[in-house]
Amino acid sequence: MTHMDILEELKRHPYEYARKYKSERGRPIVGYFCSYTPEELIFAADTLPFRLFGTGEHIRLADTHLQAYCCSLVKGALEDAMTGRLDFLDGVVFPHTCDTIQRLSDIWRLNLPLGFHMDVVLPVKLNALSSRRYMIDVLMEFRRNLENAFRKKITDEALLDSLNTYNRIRLLLQKIHDLKYEYPGVIAGEDLHSIMMASMIMDRSELADVLERIAGDLESRKNTSPSPPGERIVLSGGSCNLLDIYGIVEEAGAAVVGDDFCTGSRYYEGLLTIDMNPVEAIAERYLTRNVCPAKHSGLSTRADNIISVVRERKAGGVVFVLLKFCDPHAFDYPSLKGALDQEGIPSTLIEIEDQSSADGRVKTRLEAFIEMLKRKDRKEGELSGAGK
Amino acid sequence: MNSAGIDIGSISTKAAIMNDGVLMGTKVIFTGYNAEMAGKKVLDTVLAELNLPPESIDLVVATGYGRKSMASADKIITEISCHAAGARYLNPRVRSIIDIGGQDSKAILIDENGSVIDFVMNDKCAAGTGRFLEVMAGALEVDLDKFGEISLRAESPSKISSLCTVFAESEVISLISKGESRENIIAGIHESICGRISAMTHRIGIKPPVMMTGGVAKNIGVVRALERIIGTPIEVSMYAQENGAIGAAFLAQNLAAV
Repeated sequence: MTHMDILEELKRHPYEYARKYKSERGRPIVGYFCSYTPEELIFAADTLPFRLFGTGEHIRLADTHLQAYCCSLVKGALEDAMTGRLDFLDGVVFPHTCDTIQRLSDIWRLNLPLGFHMDVVLPVKLNALSSRRYMIDVLMEFRRNLENAFRKKITDEALLDSLNTYNRIRLLLQKIHDLKYEYPGVIAGEDLHSIMMASMIMDRSELADVLERIAGDLESRKNTSPSPPGERIVLSGGSCNLLDIYGIVEEAGAAVVGDDFCTGSRYYEGLLTIDMNPVEAIAERYLTRNVCPAKHSGLSTRADNIISVVRERKAGGVVFVLLKFCDPHAFDYPSLKGALDQEGIPSTLIEIEDQSSADGRVKTRLEAFIEMLKRKDRKEGELSGAGK
Repeated sequence: MNSAGIDIGSISTKAAIMNDGVLMGTKVIFTGYNAEMAGKKVLDTVLAELNLPPESIDLVVATGYGRKSMASADKIITEISCHAAGARYLNPRVRSIIDIGGQDSKAILIDENGSVIDFVMNDKCAAGTGRFLEVMAGALEVDLDKFGEISLRAESPSKISSLCTVFAESEVISLISKGESRENIIAGIHESICGRISAMTHRIGIKPPVMMTGGVAKNIGVVRALERIIGTPIEVSMYAQENGAIGAAFLAQNLAAV
């Protein structure tokens, strides 16, 4: 098996991986939901942080507790928990992000005997004077809760090791994405998707080694990789259940050259400072990293970031991907689109629920958007040609 | 140079034949179960009517939801680009297109060269589409072709609040049992569709002149209601339903010229 095969297998059968891992290593597994979960602390407690995406099975039990306006991530995860598919978990962490995740936490606590249960309520406003102190307090409490739950002291040494491992992983993910975005033909979008999914599931030390090999492979073949399709696209929005958007966009005839997903760039961007208190280092990264729409760090920070990614990557347009019923992202969309319109950056919106909902209608929209960008390119080409 | 544009929609399939930039003829048939067969059949029929042998066609462009099933097409282009091209052919001054088809509706903004600047599609549910009208025609036992003129005689359009086709149908049934007139109910149905369409047009900020295309453009009641709601006159060509196919044939002409 190649390194890519290992990751692909893991993407296909994440729960089998977890069961096998637990029986072979005897390590506890802690489920979590979003990139505002301080994974570094979970890993330092000698437990495996395991991000929950839901498997997209038919919803039979979860709807007893959830309303029709809940997203497919929350529905899928609750369904998996209620049907026993997540019985390998020793605990679950719910970060304070959207309303639905908070309610899910309560439903879970009341109905599912799955051990350790913890809400990590990080501040919502990240640019207030008290945000930093508040963030550090919450993280320290989370550290103590983990220690009590798993009867294991998280030493500063163990935490520093964890920070170093995460820095190594994030640097490698950054490198792999940079290569993909500069040489879109160097690796298929579908494979990038496998890498991201495995990165939030696999044993992190082993993951770092596998990523190192993959980054090396890509580096060595970047110059001989097939030339990319013409239109360069930046993805924005959210697909918290990590659908294979890269594959869908590539199939429609464009290359993904940037993103602001929490399952993409926000997962790996920003390194942890090693020469400071490790808990403060985790807080610092959250305070300075780009935000998700469930947090706030200024009125235009998200728009400014997308515009700068588009410029930096020389992208032709932005595709907003919204998970159906995700209200934080839906509320941000009109102002982000407005900001892009003002800069003359074309954008389009697709809404999806699960992999199978990315059907003909979504493809028609993407293909029409790509036709529009091609025509714009051609016209601009003619104009600049005529001016010479 | 002869080209054919085939628009395979969810309810009907349209063909247009063009010769050296001039429209020669069009044809509309029902799509039915087999999209590929429908594409073939509509092309054969329009060619027979024009007395043209199949080999006289130099280029075929397919569009519409069934576009990928047309294996014999030389090129596949989405209905967004084709509707823009069709409107450009029929009236080059048009800057916005509202297309209401069988299973989706769209608003398209185009520049002075006929290029798409922005577009928005409703494809989430049947409300605001031709299918919505078909369901209502069934409930009211009225021929869909009569909807337009009947609605113009309404005294005060009924209020249809629901956004969902299934629930709207039961609202209509309760209106019928309350003894509300067909005229008022049909006018209410049109207002409800136009409310949705107008919300969509605001998202991209449409500019006049506006052209309406797609099968629903043949319904004068919808066109008048929409004009009132968005506050601008709407142009409807006699080829509204075939506009996508005409655009496909027109784009094929340009492809040949390159």
